[in-house]
Amino acid sequence: MAEILVVAEHRKQGLADISLEMLTKGRQLADRASGELLAVLIGKDVSRYAPQLAQWADKVLAVKNDKLEQSLAEPYQKTLSPIIKERKPKLVLIGHSSFGMDLAPALAVELGAPLATDCTNIAMKNGVVTVTRSIYNGKVNAVYSLAPSETVIVTGRPGEFPVEEGQQRGSVEEIDYPLEEEIDYKRLEGYIEPEVSEVDITQAEVLVSVGRGIKDKGNIEIAEELARALGGVVACSRPVVDYGWLPSGYQVGLSGKTVKPKLYLAIGISGAFQHMVGIRGSKMIIAINKDVKAPIFTVADYGIVDDIFKVVPILTQKINELKG
Amino acid sequence: MDIVVAIKQVLDTSEAVDVVEIDASGKDIKKGALISRINDWDEYALEEAVQLKQKLGGTVTAVTVGPGEWDDTLRRALAMGADRAIRIDEDAAAMDSCVVARVLTALISRLSYDLIMFGAQSEDLGSGQLGPMVAEMLGIPHATLVVSLQVQEGEARVSRELEGGVLELYTLKLPALLTIQTGINRPRYVSFASIKKARDKELKVMSLGELGLSREALTPMVKLEKLELTPAGKRAELISGSAEEAAANLATILKNSGVILSG
Repeated sequence: MAEILVVAEHRKQGLADISLEMLTKGRQLADRASGELLAVLIGKDVSRYAPQLAQWADKVLAVKNDKLEQSLAEPYQKTLSPIIKERKPKLVLIGHSSFGMDLAPALAVELGAPLATDCTNIAMKNGVVTVTRSIYNGKVNAVYSLAPSETVIVTGRPGEFPVEEGQQRGSVEEIDYPLEEEIDYKRLEGYIEPEVSEVDITQAEVLVSVGRGIKDKGNIEIAEELARALGGVVACSRPVVDYGWLPSGYQVGLSGKTVKPKLYLAIGISGAFQHMVGIRGSKMIIAINKDVKAPIFTVADYGIVDDIFKVVPILTQKINELKG
Repeated sequence: MDIVVAIKQVLDTSEAVDVVEIDASGKDIKKGALISRINDWDEYALEEAVQLKQKLGGTVTAVTVGPGEWDDTLRRALAMGADRAIRIDEDAAAMDSCVVARVLTALISRLSYDLIMFGAQSEDLGSGQLGPMVAEMLGIPHATLVVSLQVQEGEARVSRELEGGVLELYTLKLPALLTIQTGINRPRYVSFASIKKARDKELKVMSLGELGLSREALTPMVKLEKLELTPAGKRAELISGSAEEAAANLATILKNSGVILSG
């Protein structure tokens, strides 16, 4: 019987969203293949999370390790590889998170298992796993097949597998952590939480967000003026922070902040998935971009396909007129 | 301090004008008018390596697995400050990440290295697998998505990016492998003159055979079945007209939705 193993990831705040997404997908695949879903969680206080995982999994393997307060790649790899070698799950699902990116490729090499990362869809038919990946800046979808093997590993893109509440009441097994020697070649020194910025973009009702299309630090002014007219604040996508045009506290997206404003107005943002994950909770999304094919238009409610430097100043003026 | 940086050349598909079409094989895109350039992430990795070398001394070697056209990108790396470049003359598009990792591992294990750097992912395929795979094959520690780096006394202190702006801090014993995230530095401007000036630096081309490998023994485990242009899916309601008209209509929509409060 086909077994699917989901590697659960935990952070200070609890189980990572991506793990619930992978559990949902894993449950669907297991049901279709009449297989079993196994969730593995490694760390301190694992028993705290086990009941939540058991909503989706037939079985939860809770591996207790007091030194592991959050998920780390090396201890996970050392613990997972003997479990996978012994149980031989057909498919191992891991989130394509920062943790998953650190873990999955090394684990695949150690196990000699085929690996597909950052997948937007995952299918299993007659024991063969095929995946879809979004490539060339989201312009192309590629379908790959993974060579039939004892185990294949797939990582799923955050936000692509909507969470459905699980109806399972799986069993929980607590096991010991098999790692004996210390990992002395890579020491965790701690974490740095994001700096508190003067403006909290997560609390704003209106965000005017700029992307690479703003072209220069000096041009951000047109977005600031629009934000002022709308009673909102300015935010941005990753490249704007990379180029040093705005501080990191203004960044929206996977590696920045998740926002839920009444209005999210995206100016010159093409819409990399890392960005879109962070704006999903917005009530209304409006995009202004000269590229009609920009992915941002697939999540926006309204769009203007035109030069931002033409449209934005006029829009600011019209809004000020309407305000009277 | 000997640093090896693995880089690749990509077709730039990031802009609106970059029209992507699938070719007749259904498994590749047409080069058409697309411009080839160095992978964005790799440029940050190279810059980081060159800055470290300027601080600590040593060498920077740029390596790649790719066809002859990719020499342009290697020359750019030499102009940025790499001391030499090595290209394994193979079409990486016919390989999967694991096979490319095996080829790079065979090459790098023949070189002297304290630190190996990769871009965190490629712009075109974006799988982010190569770096940690090579680290595992070489048996050295790795950290992905590195946004800051300090090297001292045989150790690398790094911070890597987690979700939500949180950073994870590590100390790694050298030799180690890091994959570099964008924004870690400001890559230097490379002029045409500097590329010309760097043409005397060594650019070596090697075959699989010289690494003790053969194509037959390198079987990919992940196979590309087909490519499709991304379907349009759900679309925004587009507001048409001139910039003036569209802006006016959008302002009205905002007013009607209660976002703009008059007075």
